[in-house]
Amino acid sequence: MIFQANAFQELLAVLDYWDRLLSGFILTMWMYIWALLFGFILGLFLAILRVYGGFAFSKISSGYIEIIRGTPLLAQLFFIFFLPYTLNISPNIMVLETSFYLFNKEITLKLLDYPIFVGIFALILNSGAYQAEYIRGAIVSVGTGQLEAAQSIGMSRLSSIRHIVLPQALRRVIPAWSNEAAYLPKYTVLVYFIGGVEELFSQADFVQHKTFFPLTTYIVVALMFLITITLISKFLEFIHTRTSIPGL
Amino acid sequence: MGEQLLRIIDVWKSYENLQVLKGVSLDLAERDVKVIFGPSGSGKSTLLRCINMLNPPDKGEIYLRGNNITTPKVNLNVLRTRIGMVFQHFNLFAHLKAIDNVSIGLRRVKKFSKQEAHEKALEALNRVKLVEWADHYPAQLSGGQQQRVGIARALAMEPDVILFDEPTSALDPELIGEVLQVMLDLAKAGTTMLVVTHEMGFARAVASEMIFIDKGIIIERGTPNHFSVSPESDRVKLFLTQLDVLYGSHKKLLNDTEEEEKI
Repeated sequence: MIFQANAFQELLAVLDYWDRLLSGFILTMWMYIWALLFGFILGLFLAILRVYGGFAFSKISSGYIEIIRGTPLLAQLFFIFFLPYTLNISPNIMVLETSFYLFNKEITLKLLDYPIFVGIFALILNSGAYQAEYIRGAIVSVGTGQLEAAQSIGMSRLSSIRHIVLPQALRRVIPAWSNEAAYLPKYTVLVYFIGGVEELFSQADFVQHKTFFPLTTYIVVALMFLITITLISKFLEFIHTRTSIPGL
Repeated sequence: MGEQLLRIIDVWKSYENLQVLKGVSLDLAERDVKVIFGPSGSGKSTLLRCINMLNPPDKGEIYLRGNNITTPKVNLNVLRTRIGMVFQHFNLFAHLKAIDNVSIGLRRVKKFSKQEAHEKALEALNRVKLVEWADHYPAQLSGGQQQRVGIARALAMEPDVILFDEPTSALDPELIGEVLQVMLDLAKAGTTMLVVTHEMGFARAVASEMIFIDKGIIIERGTPNHFSVSPESDRVKLFLTQLDVLYGSHKKLLNDTEEEEKI
C-alpha cells in the first residue's frame, strides 16, 4: 500500500508505464476536446432555438434537452454504439493512427476508429444538451430590452442576436459553463465501457494488472485528472476576467 | 409646421385578455413636438411600441409620410431606421463603448465604413454633449449620461421622428435636467418628436399639443396652456393635481411651506 515503506517503489513501478498512461491521457483529452467544442456549437444552436425559435422549434429543442438530461450517458453510448448493427449497417469509420518517440519509447495512439467515434459523438450529443441549458440561462439574463433597442435602430432580429445578445451571453456563461468543462473529462471516462478504446482507464486497468498496485495506479490517474481540471478552471477564470465588461 | 409626417388612425391593441389601446388617433407634423401623458398602464408606451411596430397593432392604420406601415409588405427593419426610439431604461448595449452604441446601427444597418460611422457617431455624441465620454462603457456612465447616449443612438440614424418613452422617469431628480436640456435643444433644432412624459415644464416649453390617455383612449387633448389653465375632464384634473402634489407646487403644500418661502 502506498502508505507503507515501499510506497515509493510502488509509485515508481506504476510510473514505469508512463507511456501507457500518457497515451491514455492524450486519447481521453482528445475525446474531451472534440466533445466540448462541438458540444458548444450544438449547445449554442439548441439554446438559440429554445429562446428565439418560436413555439415549434423551442419545443423540439427542449424535448431533446430533456431526453438527453433524463437518460444515463452510458445508455446513450450503448444506444449509439449498437444502433448501426441493429439497422444492419456495418459502421465504416476511417481509422486514424499516429506514433511518436518520447524518451526512447515509441508511443502509438489510435485517434479514430468506430468505438472512438461513437464515444466522441455520444459525448457531443450529451454535452450539447447540458451546454444548451447554461447558454440559455445566459441569453435570458441579458434580457429583451437591448434586443428591442437593437431592433429599434433597424437591426434584424438575427443581427441583433449575433451582435448584441450573444457577445454578452457568451461572456456571462463562462462561470456556469466552466462546470461543464470540469465535468466532461470525468464523463469521458464512460467511453471505457464501450470496450476497445484505449483511453486512460483502460490503460490504468492494464497497468494495475501488470504491477498489482491498483491503489497507486488509480491515485496517479486521479491526480492526473485533478491537475488537468484545476488548470482548466484557472484558465477559464482568467478568460472570464479578461473578457469582463468594464464597469460591470 | 410642415406636412403630416405621422398619422395614427384608430389603433387598437390587446395583450391576451387585456385591451390596452381602444382606438387611438393622432397626427404629427414635420418638426412638431407632441407630448403624451396619463396614468401608468394607460397604454402610452404600447402606443409608441405600435408606432415602430415592436408590438404591431391589432387594428388600425399608421402612416409614415403617407405610406401605410401596418401592412405586412413593409420591411420592418428599414422602417425602424426611420423611427427612432428612446427607452425608459435606456437599453444601452452593455458590452459596447458609448461611441460603439451610437455607431453600431450605422455600421450594421446603414453599412457605413468604420471611419464614416465613427465620425457620424461622434457628431451625434456631440449633440448630446458627451464627446469626452465616447470611450466609456454604459456601466461607467451616470443614468443621465446613459440616457443621452440612448438619444444619440437614435439621432445617429437620422430618423424622421423620434419616440421618447418616459425618458426621464428612471432617473434621479438631479439627472433629469441634463436629459431634458438635450431634448429641448433637439426640439428647437426642428426634430420631430413624440414624447411620453410627465415633465410639464418640458411640455410647456416645446409641445404644440398634449394628449391625455387613460385606459387606452384619448380623454382630452389641447395645448399646454389649455391643460394648465382649463382642463375639462375630472380625470385630467385629478391627475394634474396629483402631479402638482408630487412636484410640491400644489396650493395645499404651498400653504404649509409659506414660512420657508419667505426666507
